[in-house]
Amino acid sequence: MSFLIAQSLINGVILGTLYLLMAIGFTLAFGVMRIVNFAHGEFYMLGAFGALIGVTWLGLPYPVTLALTIVFAILFGAVIERLVFRPFRNDELSGMIASLGLAMILQHGALILFGPDPQAFPAMVSGVFKWGALIVPKSRALALGIGIVILLVFYLFLMHTRHGRALRALVQDQEVAAVFGVRLEIMYPLGLGLGIALAAVAGGLMAPLFGVSPFIGATPLLKAFIVVILGGLGSIPGAALAAILLGLIESFTSSFVSASAADIVIFALVIGVLLVRPAGLLGRAEV
Amino acid sequence: MKRTTILAAASALAMVATGALAQETLKIGALTTMSGAGASWGNGMKRAAEMAAEDVNEAGGLEVGGTKYQVEIIAYDDSYKANEAVTAANRLVFEDKVKYIIGTVGSAPILAIQPITEENGVITMTLGFTAQALGEDKQYTFRPNPTTAEVAQPQIDWIVANQGVKTVGALFPKDETGEAIAGDLSAAYEKAGATLAAKEFFERDRVDFIPLLTRIIAQGVDAIELDGNSPVTAGQIVQQARDLGFEGVIIRTGGPATQEIVNVAGEAATEGMFVHSAFDPGVASAKAYEDRYVETYNEPMNGFSPFFYDGTKMLFQAMQDAGTVEDTEAVKTAYENITDYEGILGTMNWTGADRYGIAHQLDSPFYIARVTGGQEEIVARCTSAGCE
Repeated sequence: MSFLIAQSLINGVILGTLYLLMAIGFTLAFGVMRIVNFAHGEFYMLGAFGALIGVTWLGLPYPVTLALTIVFAILFGAVIERLVFRPFRNDELSGMIASLGLAMILQHGALILFGPDPQAFPAMVSGVFKWGALIVPKSRALALGIGIVILLVFYLFLMHTRHGRALRALVQDQEVAAVFGVRLEIMYPLGLGLGIALAAVAGGLMAPLFGVSPFIGATPLLKAFIVVILGGLGSIPGAALAAILLGLIESFTSSFVSASAADIVIFALVIGVLLVRPAGLLGRAEV
Repeated sequence: MKRTTILAAASALAMVATGALAQETLKIGALTTMSGAGASWGNGMKRAAEMAAEDVNEAGGLEVGGTKYQVEIIAYDDSYKANEAVTAANRLVFEDKVKYIIGTVGSAPILAIQPITEENGVITMTLGFTAQALGEDKQYTFRPNPTTAEVAQPQIDWIVANQGVKTVGALFPKDETGEAIAGDLSAAYEKAGATLAAKEFFERDRVDFIPLLTRIIAQGVDAIELDGNSPVTAGQIVQQARDLGFEGVIIRTGGPATQEIVNVAGEAATEGMFVHSAFDPGVASAKAYEDRYVETYNEPMNGFSPFFYDGTKMLFQAMQDAGTVEDTEAVKTAYENITDYEGILGTMNWTGADRYGIAHQLDSPFYIARVTGGQEEIVARCTSAGCE
């Protein structure tokens, strides 16, 4: 039994970290631009295809592929901000609908380009780390390690650079930030680009574990949604707390009760949090 | 001047009319899964129908009762979902007016469309593994591929006896197909002297099996059974079970899917896996079909495809025997009456009267293979009586 508890703990933390990558990008895009980006899951999908193209078609090393994915995703995000979201800056509802349309365009574009069949991604590492009875697959440890590094870099960027501070200021109050000289023309594309890059790199990290197909974006989007609603829209510490919580609940419930019980518990928790703390665990109420 | 115009118009009309006579079209629906996890089966079925159609079209058309028909395949995707299958079946039956449907892949979809197809006398040819797909009250449904019910027992007997397997764990999709297969397998392992000790059910679109596999492996099972899962899902289960350090036997009892499983999980993870195989590349006609498939579609052939090629060709013969393509009751009876059909996989006969109450199940030889270096190697040859 203690084996199952420890193993579930490890599984849960790994899952939680991966959810966090998705959720932070999602919540950042919302915090900066006030847009609920339904296309977020599709950027995860594009990131996975990007990694597939880099590794299997071009024969690039995996870390190089991931770095390229991040660069392209930031650029792509900036373009998307300019073309799709800029006209809806002060219009949350229209922005949300535009993002739904964007999601469909991206998914069906991938369907036309790559076909519906799931594509296998070659394993980057194989084997396991063992401590007594405890097992961590190396493939997951790799995803976890890279994920944590990316999150740390992102954290340092956000807390200790000029652009990072500007982004945080934007999340807190757009008008005041603008008055204090935060350049919206740069920060909006940067915010969305970074958010999208986090989703894309999550896709690239997950591709060796879960495979690649045009339909893989829906599940991570749903998880990001749950994390962000639990943690509080726009709140990055809230997202971190909620992501780890979600990973642990999912892992423990699946291992001790059943897979369907995990879904029930998670959605019951979401409803409970919304009833008791509508702004989420660490979110600020809108004024 | 005027007269020549009329003449020209008349002759043009006459040409169109004779053209139409020579070009009667027989529409056949292909209602299969072309997207998502079951797409490799669905594409295999659809392409089988296309190749069977291509055969007769290239020979100038299918001659039935003195008329030549060009066969046209109308394909719709059901995404392995009952509701989408019903929408597509309505379109096929009421708008496209087809009388024959190759499909569906899934059990839930076939059960969902049967009220439409049986009511309207539309002949369906399903892959769905549920026992409920066939029955005395379902006169127009046929199944050209053997299911777990046909192959499980001999195969499991052989593996339990030869591999010393005592306890088995398995993951099944939480739907009609999964439930049916879980029940069949439990009974089959019990009968062979082993137990299906750990069972887990999951939603079909799940991709992360680590928590469920952790639970199964913690119970110390000797083997993991993959039957009931789509090829891609089965591949993910294999990969993740090996990722968790599972070193026992992996068994795939029903449903040919080796190529896709190897593609997803990789050669190392699948080494030594025991699989069901309906396909012996040693049979020349079977090999020729596989080559043609790979050449035409540039993808590995799904193992179910040959059954649907044979099934469709048998259906064409039934139409010729009945002398009609319109009266499906006569075609159905002619279809039932075909015996010892020489298909690409071997000699085919209808069976299933005892098990389902109606002989609409094709019987054919099958094999147990061991995966070595990503390829199947036949280790035992089976009939429904047993393997050796």
